[in-house]
Amino acid sequence: MSVELAGFPYLSAILLSCVVGLLVILFIPRERETLVKGVSLVFSGIALALSIYVYCAYDRAHGGLQFVERLRWVEPLGIHYFNGADGFNLPLILLTGIVHFTGVLTMWELRGRVKEFFAFAFVLVLGVFGFFMSMDLFFLFVWYDVSLFPMYPLIAIWGTTRKEYGALKLFLYLLAGSALVLPGIVYLAVASGLQTFDILALMQPGALTPGQQKFAFVLFYLGFGILAGVWPFHTWSPVGHVAAPTSVSMIHAGVLMKVGAFGILRVAIFLCPLGWEYWAPVMAVLATIGIVYGVFVGLTQTDLKYVVAYSSVSHMGIVGLGLSTITAEGLNGAIFQMFAHGIMTALLFSSLGYIYDKTHTKLIPDLGGMSRVMPVASGYFIVAALAGMGVPGFASFWAEVTVFISALKVYPALGALAICALVLSALYMLRVVQRTFYGPRNERYANLPDVSFSLGLPRMILVTAMLLFGLFPRLMLDLVQTAVIPFMNGLPR
Amino acid sequence: MKWLILGPEIYVLAVAAVFLILSMMRPNGRRDFSAALFLAGLGVAVTLATVRLEGSLLYGAYRADLFSQVFKGLLSMGFFLVVCLCSRLNGIQEKRHPEFYFLLATCTLGMMLLVSSLELLTMYVALELTSYSLYALVPLRSGGGQQMEAGIKYFLTGIATSALMLFGLASLFAATQTTYISELALKLPGLLNTPMAFIGLLLTLCGFFFKLALFPFHVWAPSVYQGAANQVTAFVATATKVTAMAMLARLVSMSDGNTSLAHVLIALAIISMTYGNLVALVQKDFKRLLAYSAIAHAGYALIGILSMNPTGYAAAVFYALAYLAMTFTCFLVVVKVASDGRDLAIVQLAGLHRRSPLLAMALMVGVFSLGGIPPTIGFTGKFLVFTAAMQRGYFLLVLIAMINVVVSLYYYIQVVKAAFLLEPDEELPRINLSAPATILTVVMVVVIVMGGIFPRYLFQLAGAAVQALP
Repeated sequence: MSVELAGFPYLSAILLSCVVGLLVILFIPRERETLVKGVSLVFSGIALALSIYVYCAYDRAHGGLQFVERLRWVEPLGIHYFNGADGFNLPLILLTGIVHFTGVLTMWELRGRVKEFFAFAFVLVLGVFGFFMSMDLFFLFVWYDVSLFPMYPLIAIWGTTRKEYGALKLFLYLLAGSALVLPGIVYLAVASGLQTFDILALMQPGALTPGQQKFAFVLFYLGFGILAGVWPFHTWSPVGHVAAPTSVSMIHAGVLMKVGAFGILRVAIFLCPLGWEYWAPVMAVLATIGIVYGVFVGLTQTDLKYVVAYSSVSHMGIVGLGLSTITAEGLNGAIFQMFAHGIMTALLFSSLGYIYDKTHTKLIPDLGGMSRVMPVASGYFIVAALAGMGVPGFASFWAEVTVFISALKVYPALGALAICALVLSALYMLRVVQRTFYGPRNERYANLPDVSFSLGLPRMILVTAMLLFGLFPRLMLDLVQTAVIPFMNGLPR
Repeated sequence: MKWLILGPEIYVLAVAAVFLILSMMRPNGRRDFSAALFLAGLGVAVTLATVRLEGSLLYGAYRADLFSQVFKGLLSMGFFLVVCLCSRLNGIQEKRHPEFYFLLATCTLGMMLLVSSLELLTMYVALELTSYSLYALVPLRSGGGQQMEAGIKYFLTGIATSALMLFGLASLFAATQTTYISELALKLPGLLNTPMAFIGLLLTLCGFFFKLALFPFHVWAPSVYQGAANQVTAFVATATKVTAMAMLARLVSMSDGNTSLAHVLIALAIISMTYGNLVALVQKDFKRLLAYSAIAHAGYALIGILSMNPTGYAAAVFYALAYLAMTFTCFLVVVKVASDGRDLAIVQLAGLHRRSPLLAMALMVGVFSLGGIPPTIGFTGKFLVFTAAMQRGYFLLVLIAMINVVVSLYYYIQVVKAAFLLEPDEELPRINLSAPATILTVVMVVVIVMGGIFPRYLFQLAGAAVQALP
């Protein structure tokens, strides 16, 4: 087995911390619930620390693929275990670390089948980490599926509203997506004549003919697009988000939908750039419809979680719009938006989860005046809602501005439409905030406790991350730039 | 000592003789089980010791090569694993236990002879030895009337396909004037455009389509799976399928990439997958569900074989191995949960996650492996099969197969849901697994997961084995 390592395998260490966490949990007796939570916290903390380290230690002046780990896995088939970090995936690795860590903290009060919950959560996060860092199509697909299947038990067992329906719908939709992706990757490996799943090898100009690229692009765009919540394949996502327990909603909306968008980037756009150029207008139209649709459907919802879920559809539309511009700014904004939206949605679901745990309702008309009952918990939600509206000072502001500027240049009409929709969304978010957190107080909930410091901790972390990258966007934009510029320059024109 | 290559066969024959003698003594279930467990375990060792032997006997009619020896290894393991399930053989009367083991042994012997035979008549005789053992095994279950229905269905469809196969063999002989596979492999590719040779080969394949429960030879599968004792079903579902995959690979490889044959097989594979998966959606009984899933899997395995390239045959061998592991794991759960030997409805799995977390996990792993979710051996098997088909340019076939996989996940997830989500109406006791049973379960889970993560050596072994094919 030939091994190619550039120093200590930090990326594999992240994966390993998830695997070890999972194994340790499996061997803890199920009655020791606090121990299970503690172990989860420690290992998710290690994963977070490692991902922060990798993010900071990446050499921006040098650029390119760093922290490379590569060993041959199944030689005759050209499968490699091949991980690497670049400006594209580092923000998302960091995002996964943050969301999982805060997710564990958020679920600190979970009762019932604790061991299984945290075990499944580790499998899920393992898949997501692996997906983001893998540079081999075979492993990419394996990680993709690994991240999908725990969703079913996680939602069906610990979820709430229509959980079995939501879980099943999500599971089948997402695996239907993988049914398109798998033939796609095998097709690329075979059709290129290289019999390899190495993304870098398949990226070489001339590895695939224009016809093959146009064809394969459709498979990947549809396959990953389902997971990314691209309209009209988004219908699993609101149902799934609503049904899922809090931390799963966080990981799911915060990270898993990015897996889809990142798949479009890493596989479809990387390997089929000609297909990308060919289909970009279609992508732009679908993305814009997603933005507008998410806003309008969100307007009519009375369930807070549905409101957030539909805002996710529309925010993921922004990612799609950024990807479809074929400009450096567009890609840059799209990646930044993936990160910003991940943090923001995680915060929204996290604070909403707290309110739901206490009041056992998430219907807007039932709530009201919550800011007087639990000012801190409400504060977190309002902050996240403001971030979602794209208020300057938060990370999403920069992301959205970058995407819209490039979209206005390339598709003026669609860009303008999307901006109008977003203004409208700000309006409805404000209305939701007003109805839920201000106005007359519902006396039934008057005596509920506010969020304690320890339970507030995960929300604090998320708010900090949002503000940090909002006030210093170059922390991320510069990093993304190191990957986007060489990639755009290398495109066949 | 060229007769040494017959080691596994002679050994299994001896095992059969031991149980023939035991069947004449006073019934004693414990004694029979211990003897069977020991002898079957030793059988695995004997077979693995001969894996590297090569040689041919009887003027080339019988040959041991890596391909046949690998399958003999799998068969001996299948035999051993099924015996492992028999610690409480409640589905069968105690006085019939020695006969049960005897028939298992003769059936295994028949299949071992089958994978080594390179001459059509030898092949037919070995196949009949297998079939007749199974005809007797299926109705061996006590009580009900179900097992009789299953037995008769199996027998009638079995002899009908045997007749078809004989007709095919005769046509092949008429077309080529030989019954030796080595000669057939030379003559057949040129003759396959003549109807006689083509139909002959196709009808010969039918005998194994029947064993594999491929559409349209699947009619026996649901009744037999449900009607036979759980252990017998486990044997039918694992060992015979493995043999059928081996023999199909061997026979199809004679055709040297004939496209019309490939087209027929493509049609059968598509129908089999689609039919099996669609009907499985509405099943309530777990064994019946596994029967329909087996029909679907017959289709997937056929994709590897019909690709008719080295990757495809290797994929089929790998798939056979994977299928053995994952199906056995499901039956392990069936046998342990339905410890009194009854049938197991899917809803009866309710609450399994509390009754036995380990079995629930094994069931999830086994079922997800059947569903082809990574990182399991079942996923790797499907992946290899699809790669082989893609190398031949069968993109649509792969797409259809993948859509089928998604359809199948619906019913597999129902099983997982029952085990993890549903609560039983009345509180059921914990299932206490004995230490060996726990180890066996853990080993199966590890094999399935590790085979998915590190398929390298298994795939290399499969690749080396298929080089023995013509």
